[in-house]
Amino acid sequence: MASAARLGNKVDAGLLAGCVVLSLIAVVLKDQDREPIASALRRTIVAPLVTLQRGAERWRTAWASSDARQAAADSIALRAVKAQALIVENDQLRKIIGLGSRLEWGFVPAEALHSTAPSEDIVTTLTLTSGSTAGIKQYSPVVAPEGLVGTIYKADPTMSIAILYTNPDFRASAMTADGATFGIIYPHTDRVGGSNAYMLELRGVPTRTKLAANTVIYTSGLGGTFPRGITIGNVVQEVKTSEVWTRTYLMRPAVTPSRVTSVLVLTAQRVTQGTGNVWGAAVNTDSAARKIAAAGDSLAKQAALLEAQARQAALDSVKRATIDSVRRSLGAAPMPITPADSAAIKRAGAAGAPGVPGQTAPVVRDTGAAVRRPATPARPDSIKKPR
Amino acid sequence: MNWTGAARTIVVCAILIVLHFTLRPLLAWRASIDFLIVALLLGSVRLRPGSAAVYGFLLGLVADSLSVGGFGASALGMSVVGFAASWLKAVFFADNLALNGFFLFLAKWVFDLIVLLVGIRSANGIAMQIFVWSPLSAAVTAVAGVIALSLLKPLMEVRTA
Repeated sequence: MASAARLGNKVDAGLLAGCVVLSLIAVVLKDQDREPIASALRRTIVAPLVTLQRGAERWRTAWASSDARQAAADSIALRAVKAQALIVENDQLRKIIGLGSRLEWGFVPAEALHSTAPSEDIVTTLTLTSGSTAGIKQYSPVVAPEGLVGTIYKADPTMSIAILYTNPDFRASAMTADGATFGIIYPHTDRVGGSNAYMLELRGVPTRTKLAANTVIYTSGLGGTFPRGITIGNVVQEVKTSEVWTRTYLMRPAVTPSRVTSVLVLTAQRVTQGTGNVWGAAVNTDSAARKIAAAGDSLAKQAALLEAQARQAALDSVKRATIDSVRRSLGAAPMPITPADSAAIKRAGAAGAPGVPGQTAPVVRDTGAAVRRPATPARPDSIKKPR
Repeated sequence: MNWTGAARTIVVCAILIVLHFTLRPLLAWRASIDFLIVALLLGSVRLRPGSAAVYGFLLGLVADSLSVGGFGASALGMSVVGFAASWLKAVFFADNLALNGFFLFLAKWVFDLIVLLVGIRSANGIAMQIFVWSPLSAAVTAVAGVIALSLLKPLMEVRTA
């Protein structure tokens, strides 16, 4: 029994020694000698394990790459959202810059912070990042490139609060582009939400005046709060009311308050002196057209006056020549023309032509000059007949 | 060990070997779990020392065939560790998880020492590997081995000597 155990121990020691020797031989083998052994193992016994390991590593790679892809997709989505917001903001800033360049002076740029409480459905007030130190006062008009936004409710030194046209206290005097129809702008109280959440009413339009849909309405400049010619919106349709002598129209405002991020506040001096044709108001275009037409009429009048004077001078010449001929034929002396007459004619021509700046005075024919020339022989018929 | 016990041991060792080539690449930890060591110890304590040395030698060859350098180092380390585990089977069979964990830790660290010293090609970072990463890997292996022993205990019918 003991010898068997000793034999067993010897066998165990021998096996260990064999394994150790073989391992050391494998360690000391050169690469070209050990590689065939390792390769044979990988292709036979270890092949299933290699397949398992490759699959596991693929799983891990896929897992890691899926996380990376998800992160990349999230980043792209986030950038897309930011890019869209940037595009909108860029567009608004470009418009604001364009409006500023058209206004040239008398405005204060401000960033609009939406301060409406979450419980409110619509935007009725805005907090502006400029205040009284920048020249903003109470009731200063707040405008956007699209048109009228509202008016300043309170002006602090560094910030101000503006009420929008959606505010129940907002009013503005308005008119059509041709200046023929006037009314008062009110916020539309019966809001239905969605795209029609921000609507206006044009009240007080005379019954005799009927406005077509899409008629553009501008501020009239009456009242002194808003200068003339700021776009307010378009007429949508007439609203039936109990008023008999006036009409009320529903209007779609030009500016959507929820999208306003940058505005301009007009100074009091600019309000007093007007904004001109900044919003492309037809009122200004109309006045320019009237001026052009008046200038055209003036030129036409001058041309007609000159033509009449020339015609009169020609008639005078013909008349004078006829009289001279008759007198000569009768043997009488030709009708003398005194230098005073010529001077009078010249004076009349000079004074009669009102003159156009940059234009010379019309040439008036002096019929007396031909008569006074003594060398000119008389026409044969006019000389022979009396004899 | 009867045939049933041998079959169960083979199944458990096969599971551990499969885990070594599937779970370990999935986790890809810097201090990774060495399921081959766990499988080696579980098998060695049921074999004679000589057989355990051969078993370790074969497992080491499998590991070496997939490693870039140091062919034979793992075979040497596992032969020694398997022989020692089989020789110390009475200790290892003690029904104490902490003791089993300690021996797993020790086995893994000795194995790493042998592999590093025999298969050494460069002295750069060997101290870091011996005193930091190897103990960490040994600790993780010990924890995983203890968990595996606890889960597979009913299957293996471990009996104390």
